[in-house]
Formats: sequence, structure tokens, C-alpha cells
Amino acid sequence: MDLHYSEQELQFRARARQWLQDNIPRQPRPVGGEAMAQFDRDWQRRLFEHGWAGINWPEEYGGLGLSAIQQVIWYEECARAGAPHFINTTYVALMHAGPTIIACGTPQQKQFHLPRILSGESLWCQGFSEPNAGSDLASLKTTGAVDGDDLVINGTKTWTTDGQHADFQELLVRTTPGSERHRGLTWVICDMRAPGITVQPIRTMLGDEHVNTTFYDDVRIPLANVVGEIGGGWRTAMSTLGFERGTGFIGEQLALYERVNQAIKLAGRTRLEGGGLAIDDSDFAARLALIKADTLAIRAMTLAQISELREGDNPGPKGSMMKLMVTGTAKALSHLVADMLGWEFLEYNDNRNEHPLTYDYLWSWVYTIAGGTSEIQREIIADQMLELPRAR
Amino acid sequence: MYLALDSHEQEIANAAAAFLRAEFPLARLHARRDDDARLAEFSTLGWFGLAVAEERGGSGLGVIEQMLFFLELGRVAGPFGVLPQALALQVAADEPELLRALLAGEENVALLVERDGSGARGLGGDNCRYALELTAGESTLFRLAREQCDDVPCLDRSVVMFKTPASALQTVARVTGDGLWLRAQVCVSAMLLGAAASALDMITGYAKERETFGRPIGAYQAVRHPCADMAVRVESARCQLYYAAAALAAGHDDAALQVAAARLVAQHAARANTDANIQLHGGIGVTDEFSAHLLLKRANLLWRLFGSGRDRARTLLQVDDLDGAGS
Ligand SMILES: Cc1cc2nc3c(=O)[nH]c(=O)nc-3n(C[C@H](O)[C@H](O)[C@H](O)COP(=O)(O)OP(=O)(O)OC[C@H]3O[C@@H](n4cnc5c(N)ncnc54)[C@H](O)[C@@H]3O)c2cc1C
Repeated sequence: MDLHYSEQELQFRARARQWLQDNIPRQPRPVGGEAMAQFDRDWQRRLFEHGWAGINWPEEYGGLGLSAIQQVIWYEECARAGAPHFINTTYVALMHAGPTIIACGTPQQKQFHLPRILSGESLWCQGFSEPNAGSDLASLKTTGAVDGDDLVINGTKTWTTDGQHADFQELLVRTTPGSERHRGLTWVICDMRAPGITVQPIRTMLGDEHVNTTFYDDVRIPLANVVGEIGGGWRTAMSTLGFERGTGFIGEQLALYERVNQAIKLAGRTRLEGGGLAIDDSDFAARLALIKADTLAIRAMTLAQISELREGDNPGPKGSMMKLMVTGTAKALSHLVADMLGWEFLEYNDNRNEHPLTYDYLWSWVYTIAGGTSEIQREIIADQMLELPRAR
Repeated sequence: MYLALDSHEQEIANAAAAFLRAEFPLARLHARRDDDARLAEFSTLGWFGLAVAEERGGSGLGVIEQMLFFLELGRVAGPFGVLPQALALQVAADEPELLRALLAGEENVALLVERDGSGARGLGGDNCRYALELTAGESTLFRLAREQCDDVPCLDRSVVMFKTPASALQTVARVTGDGLWLRAQVCVSAMLLGAAASALDMITGYAKERETFGRPIGAYQAVRHPCADMAVRVESARCQLYYAAAALAAGHDDAALQVAAARLVAQHAARANTDANIQLHGGIGVTDEFSAHLLLKRANLLWRLFGSGRDRARTLLQVDDLDGAGS
């Protein structure tokens, strides 16, 4: 074991810190609408133009080709500087669509999409889940019929995050008629402007409209947009989910540390009903200490994971462990803050910028449900890591 | 930056595991309780002196290797006396004759866990003629008149607990600073993690065999999901413990913070896992002949050692830059 950073890594950190200090947007990110998506595109373009986009993407696809450690350093510095949160409308494109295309795409797909993703020109969304296929994704029913050089799509996807802003979608459909479960599926790039697509927002309990139901009515997609094999979409989708659960969370893993420190500062100035400071209350102090310890452990897990993995490997069930730790700790933190705030917590007008702490509290359930629920992560660990007899 | 075992570290861990599992398997505690009499076996292979300089007769390794050894010791609830013995070597570093006798296992050391003006509570059998006390600021090795002490029964039957009058303790050596304290925290965290990991292994083994309603219990989510949570606790505690040991070895400014986090996470894992292990075994889990309670009882002893939750919270609730993250 060796916790020492190389000279090159230290220099990279110093450079990132300086650049972020000089360049992070002074305006807050708009809470919704086209202005929000534009804010994200602008920030991504800025990163791209200054040579900070695609830290760990291979150089041949426009990335920086840097090490996983440098990626960790970058996210630590972003969190420290209060840079725009990386889970935004560019997230799907950068964290899983792009990596999936790098892993499984054709040369034409790479050439067209990867530069547009890195520069923030195209935003993506994910069309996997359906009203009757969430945890049990393989039961999905949206069809793609081969017709000449096209696939003709019919059906409904749901929970499509940022579907109203996206240019493209990772779409998973059933292309072999009568096929069941994992067989006969195809992963295809869907142009969100294609005729026949209707995006209908779903209002969430957070008071925002970021997720959508997406309807497909004879939507034509060229067969050239298939990523991986036609009928082999499950493999491509597993690669996508591998990125989403494996490394897609790395920014959040590291950002938690800043959030905990902010909560500690808040506890140092928040008075409880009895008049004492929250940080001097033994119950609050004990809860906060455990959350801080778990946050440090998450950082150590991140470093251990990249040390143990060889380049390009998928963390497998350890990604599920990470998701449980991160979402569980984030939930504990936002709930602790809610308890600390007392009545002030109830002041909420659906605007995350004005009431971020109440928003974080509500968001905690998105964390433990989206991207595979906590229950499903436990299933994966029980099956793949502990090799217990199957429940399903 | 490499937060995983290198081949040399892996060798130490493997050797410790092989020795402890062969010579001191957890099940030994059902039959004979002679751990105290067997302490010298650890000296033959040099386990006491892992972190003692070579010119003083030790192996010249560091806190990382010690952590790996105590993790394995924790898995089998190995002889508790090894801990004060290994730590006392650091206090006796300038007493050549005592150091030699301790390294050889000829003299044994008890651990004082509470002390006031009238006396102290300690852990260690009749074989101990020395006693060690650790605090955050200084560590003291006493000569102990063990014959003046009164034994009291201990929940962990593999450990002898006693009360001693102040007059039975005479200071022999003392070191100041928090170095040994932090090292001790790493060792205890490792033993706690070992207990948590052992509990996980025990229940996953059983969950594959035990059948109810025609299915193995491991196929029920009310069993498998708690097992998955146990595995997450073990994994997170392991990573944090590795980091803390490496930060301490490297002399990082944030070592005390990292060690406090390692201790808290390991302690939480040990508490929750030794509990769930019993519950998920059903009736057999509460029997004397089964081993689950041995881990619970040892963990209860360990999580009371070396400082209060309040102290650890104070360390953790400071807001500092992490070392290596630059400042
Ligand atoms: C805010 C938000 C954004 C999302 N964004 C996207 C997106 O952009 N694109 C996309 O494709 N999807 C997205 N999702 C969908 C998400 O992946 C699913 O909601 C999730 O996988 C759960 O599926 P479900 O909602 O159908 O719940 P269900 O599968 O119906 O599950 C209901 C409950 O049963 C439990 N359960 C189900 N099966 C099992 C089992 N075998 N064992 C134990 N418990 C089980 C679940 O854990 C859950 O608690 C998003 C979801 C949310 C909430």
C-alpha cells in the first residue's frame, strides 16, 4: 500500500484547483427548463475547450486518456471548488452512453457521437425502464420491427430523466418477435427529434419535472444506429449498467465528503429547540460522526477499487456495494440535516436553489431507487459475491 | 497511490491466516481455555515483534503488517494477550532485557482498561507480571503484582479479567505522544473487522445448507439481504482500515482522523454483524456449543477498549483538508 501521489498527479491537482477557481460559473444553475440544459451545455463546452473533458476517455476519442487516480483528483477538486454538480443533463452522455459507444460502437458511431458528447453539443437520456419493466428490466415490451434499413419502434418507456432536453437516447427494445427475457433485445441510438416520439413530463414529489414518460409511435431508426449486435442488446445494456453502477458514481462518492463537512459546519451554528448547538448534542454528534466515518470509508473504497481493478475492468458486484454505501450515507446525511433544521426544514417552494437541504432530503429516495433499487443491489451482492442460493 | 495489498503484504496476511486458523481456530474456545498458556507460540514465529526494529530483535515491519496480523487474529478471536504484549514492546523499547523477555514470550503483559486512585481493572491471566495502560497522551508499562489481584468473571470466557489495588502497580517505562494510541486503535479496529468478517462467513456458509420450507434459507430475502448488508460493512471497514494504517505508516497529518473513522466503521460492522449472525442462525445461534456467541462476546470486549465514542466523534467532527489532497 502506498498513499503517495506522484509529482505529476500533484501538479495535475494544482492545475485543476487553479483552473476551477478561475472558471466555475458565478451564477447558480437554473432549476429547470431549457435554461438549465443550456447551463449544462455551456459548462461542458467550457471544460472541453480548456482541456478538461473526458478525463479518463481514451485520447483517440478526444479524451485526455488520464489515469483513474487523476479522475479521482479531478472530482475531488470539483467538489472542493463547488463546481456544477456532475449529475446534470450531460450525465447520461458522459458517464454511460459515451463509454458504451467506446466499448461496443461502430467506427461511424464513435466518430459522430463521441466529440459531440464531450463538447456538450449532444445531451442524452436513457430509455430502458418501462411502466411494467423496472427492476425486472428483461421483461420489457417496447418493440423494434426490422423494416428495410430501419427499425420501427412502438411502445412506452418511462422514468426518462431529462428526456425533454436530450438529443439522443440509449433505447433498449425487443427486436425478435416472441422472444423472452434477455434474448432478442437490441440497444439502439434513438434520435429524440424523430417523428412519432412524444415526451410527457412526470411531476415528482420534489416538485420538479425532470423525469418523463416517452411514447413511440412508428418511430423509424436506421439500423446503422444499433450498438452491438441486433438481438444482442442485453450485453450492450449490461455494459451500460456496468458503467452506471461502477464508475458513474465516482463524482458523488467524493463530493459526499464536502457535503458532510458543510453539515458539520451547519451543526456548529444551528441551535436546537433547547437552545444548545446541534454539534454539542450527543445524539447528533454520534450520528454525524458515523456519517463522516462512512464518507471517509467510501473514499477509501473508491481508491481501493481503482487500485484493485485493472484498466477497463468492470467492478461487478463491488459496484453494487458502492451504490448501497453512497446512497445509504447520502440518505442518512440529508435526513440528519432535516432533523437538525427543525421547522426551517418545512420551508420549501419546489425550488432547489432556494431550499437545497429540503431538496436533498427528498432526493434521497431517488438515489436509492433510480439506477437499480437498493433491494436489487442486495440481490446482486447475495448472488454474485456471497453466492447464496437464488431467490428468483 | 495504491490502496491494495502488495505481494509482500499479502504474504504476511496469508502466513498469519494459515498459522492462526491451524493453531487457534475459533472452535478451540469450546474445548480448552488455555490461550494464556500458549502465548509463547506467537514469539517463535516472530508475531509479537512484527513492528519492532530488527536491531532490537523484531521484524522491522510497520503498522500495516501489524494491522493485517490482528485482522486475522480477530477472525478466530485469537488469544487476547497478544495485543498488550505486542503494544508493550513499543513502550519497553529502551529496556533491553525486558524487551528480550517480552519478544520471547517469557514475560506476559495484561491490559489495564480502567484506572482510578484506588486501583484498576485489567485483562490478563496469572501469567502476566506486567500491565500496560494506554491513553491518548501517554502509554505506561507497569510491573504488576498479579498475586495481589482479584479475578472477576468475564463475559468473554477466553479472557481473564481482574481488579488490582493501586499498590500492585509500579511504573517501569513510559512513552508520551499519541503514536502508540493510534497504533493500538488500528489493531483493535482490525480485530473488530476480523470478528465482523468471521460472522459474515459463518452465516453465508449456514445459509447455503440450512433448509426450511423446502428451500435453503439463503434463498429468502429476509436472510440474504441482511447478509448483503453485512458484506458491505465488511468491505467498507476493510478499505478504511487499509487507508488508516497506510496514513499512519506514512505519517500523514490526517492519520488521527482516518484512524478514528476506521475504528468507528469497524466497530459498527462488528456490532451489527455479530448480532445478525446470531439472529439469522435461529435457535442454534444462541447455543453454547455453536460459535456465534464467541464472536459477539469478543466484539463486546473490543468495542469498549481505548477511548469513548465521544472522543472519536470530536476527532471526526473537525473540518480539515485531507492529507494528500493538498492544502
Ligand atoms: C427519479 C428517477 C429517475 C430515473 N431515471 C431513469 C432513466 O433515465 N432511464 C431509465 O431507463 N430508468 C430510469 N429510472 C427507473 C429506475 O431504474 C427504476 O425505477 C428502478 O429500476 C425500479 O423499477 P420500478 O420503478 O419499476 O420498481 P419495481 O421494479 O416495480 O419495484 C418495486 C419495489 O419492489 C422491489 N423489488 C422489485 N423486485 C425485487 C426483487 N426481485 N427482490 C426484492 N425486491 C424487489 C423494488 O426494490 C421496489 O422497492 C428512474 C427512476 C427514478 C425514480
